[in-house]
Amino acid sequence: MIFPAIAVILIFNYGPMYGIQLAFRDYDFAKGLTGGEWRGLYYFKQFMNSYLFADLMKNTVTISLASIVLGFPAPIILALILNQIRRKKAKQILQTTVYLPHFISTIVLVGMLNVLLSPETGIVGYLMKLVGLGDINLLASTSTFMPVYVLSDIWQHCGWNSIIYLAALSTIDPQLYDSAKIDGASRWQTIRYVDIPAIVPTMIILFILSMGNVLGTGFEKIFLMQNALNLPVSEVIATYVYKIGIVSNQFSYSSAIGLFNTVINFIFLIAVNAISKRFSNMSLW
Amino acid sequence: MRKKLAVVLSLFMVSAVVMAGCSESSSKTEGTSDTGSGNAGKSGTKVKLTGIMVKHPLTKPLAEMEWLKKAEEEAGVEIKWQEITADWGQKKGTMLASGDVPDLFVGANVITDADFAQFQGLFQDLSDLVNKNAPNVQMMFNAKPETKIIATQPDGKIYGLPKYQRFWPASATRQFINKKWLDNLGLKMPTTWDELYNVLVAFKEKDANGNGDLKDEIPMDWPGGIGGYFNPAVLLGSEGITLSDGSGQGYYVENGKVKNFLIDERFKNLVVFLNKCYAAGLINPEVFTHDYTKYQSIARGTGDTAKVGFTWGWVASDRFGDQVAPQYASMSPLKRSADSNAKLSWSYDYNSLNFGSNMVVMSAKTKNKDAAMKFINNLYDPKVSMQVLFGSLGTNIKDNGDDSYSVLPPTDSKMDPGTWKWTSTMADNGPMYIADSLKLNLGKDMSEVLTQSEPLKGALSVSTKTDVYPNLFIKYSTADNNTLSLNNTNLMNLANPKFAQWVTKGGIDAQWDAYVKECQKAGLQQNIEIMQKYYDSFMSKNK
Repeated sequence: MIFPAIAVILIFNYGPMYGIQLAFRDYDFAKGLTGGEWRGLYYFKQFMNSYLFADLMKNTVTISLASIVLGFPAPIILALILNQIRRKKAKQILQTTVYLPHFISTIVLVGMLNVLLSPETGIVGYLMKLVGLGDINLLASTSTFMPVYVLSDIWQHCGWNSIIYLAALSTIDPQLYDSAKIDGASRWQTIRYVDIPAIVPTMIILFILSMGNVLGTGFEKIFLMQNALNLPVSEVIATYVYKIGIVSNQFSYSSAIGLFNTVINFIFLIAVNAISKRFSNMSLW
Repeated sequence: MRKKLAVVLSLFMVSAVVMAGCSESSSKTEGTSDTGSGNAGKSGTKVKLTGIMVKHPLTKPLAEMEWLKKAEEEAGVEIKWQEITADWGQKKGTMLASGDVPDLFVGANVITDADFAQFQGLFQDLSDLVNKNAPNVQMMFNAKPETKIIATQPDGKIYGLPKYQRFWPASATRQFINKKWLDNLGLKMPTTWDELYNVLVAFKEKDANGNGDLKDEIPMDWPGGIGGYFNPAVLLGSEGITLSDGSGQGYYVENGKVKNFLIDERFKNLVVFLNKCYAAGLINPEVFTHDYTKYQSIARGTGDTAKVGFTWGWVASDRFGDQVAPQYASMSPLKRSADSNAKLSWSYDYNSLNFGSNMVVMSAKTKNKDAAMKFINNLYDPKVSMQVLFGSLGTNIKDNGDDSYSVLPPTDSKMDPGTWKWTSTMADNGPMYIADSLKLNLGKDMSEVLTQSEPLKGALSVSTKTDVYPNLFIKYSTADNNTLSLNNTNLMNLANPKFAQWVTKGGIDAQWDAYVKECQKAGLQQNIEIMQKYYDSFMSKNK
């Protein structure tokens, strides 16, 4: 029964991994993926000595951490609020509404951001002028790029990500609510003492998983949002790998950077998992 | 039930694996049977080829180009074209790395010299084929020896064939100012940076287009970034720097020395000037974030009302659209200041405008190479080449009957001739040889280019021996090419945002020294040394 699943994982997930060796070799088209000269850690050293290394790491980590720190609690709060709505119809409508943005494709979303945030013609630019914030091009400033990125991400995915918490909340035994009420618990107290403890395990697991993505900031959205003015904060490892690897055809170098990225992710995942195991006895494995 | 499910599931998995494995071959057979079924009857003997054309987004489908159909027919081939209008740079890498390539590639530098070096064995060496059955290409090589230099790789092989299109002016960029606005406000044509500044301030503050709205004028605009065509970098000509081929990454030659303006004090002056303009609200605030389409559409104004005061472009009709174009005048290069005695210069782009490398490339796996070469040779036929560039005889070109030809105006009266050309045919993206002897009367746009280039003439009398980097004629080794490309990616990653920041927010004085050091760290000095080496050896060979 489990064999087909194992086969799929082996073929599609582990099979291609032999290509990793490209990070340690020169790419030679004539001799194939595994035929180039062995260079060892040359490309890794090249990356770490690159003058861009510090900036790339800083940008990637900042954007990822901000996404996690701000983006992680958002769906939890949303789920707790949705859970409080008693009218079934209203709850359904609200839920559907907050899911919808999740289905907008990245390119369309960035297009929308461009239109809405344009200082000349956009509604946000207009409103900002109205309240006296002046002409700020939110997409073209090093200080606003990150907030725009993170907030639009939260807006887009918060509803969808709340589903899993709603599921966890729905498993709570109604008797718990009843007894809480009998004890005179306010609405806030039921959330504090019944709802939150019930979803803590889900929170921890999801948190560990998202930590594994610390350097894995999404490529498309950042790349599409990049421009000359925000590049100092918007160049992340993923976009740099793209520029070096696909556009300038430096396959070995970009494989090395990609692999480096993955290794760091892996270390983060292991570390957070270990910490969580130590302190809360909850972990992925 | 569970067993059944398991069987279905595993069947599904297995078929998925099998399908993934086969998809490559199945798609191939599909492709050929597709073309075969339609014309099987009459074209039984035709050689079937596949091709990729990287064309301009405006260009109509290749299937609608009369001249191309004829050229294919004459060569006895039938080409299934895949037409690419965007992101070729990204698609190419993965396609080449997979080794699954079509028989022909057509487009401007469609496969680069660096690709030839990296993907060895993937492309056909054309030298023997050219000698054997491509008289038109040989004719080009003989008449214009430059083309042979461009085509020949360091190892003597020829993978891609170049083009020569003869009619193009010495520079891609012209400088335009709204003459009508000047007249409206009673201003003189500016001749120095300071005068320009004052004119732009007047444009901004005095409702120059006279429509009652004080805020809709954009005094200065360009497509963003630093370097390349239609860019304020040409103002460096005021300080004696001759850009070549737009100097997209800042490199230029001065008195036989390769330099880069991105770390030049004169560039710093330019940035200070642009920052002064920006701070006074004279530059489009979206200059670094808009895309080319938006940049173009804004300049076309609304109706008779122009929006942009001073900008750069190819010709007025292309930049501003036919309706407001007459308001604009092509300007001479400005002096830095009234007392400046620097020799005025401009961007010298003659080579890259008239020659082009690797316009057509053949795959080494092509089954019928002679037929493919015959087709390529047809493209270089003097009459066909003319149609590659301007469109089919009849609709785009008139045969005057006396061995001479004329480019016709657009049939759609609302379209400017430049746009019409790009819509009708491969235009500058096609392989061609426009012989110097061909009698062809140019259309309105090209005569416009030449008239509007007049004011630049003096500045463009540069020494091609000592002040122009012969980019097109130089072939780097693979290692050097990789180094250059990696360093340039890093360099532009640094310079572009800095330039944008300094223009919009200022601060260049405080950051300049650190920036120059960063540029060196990004590999600028190394690149200059490499380029100097190649430049010297090219010059010593071609005195």
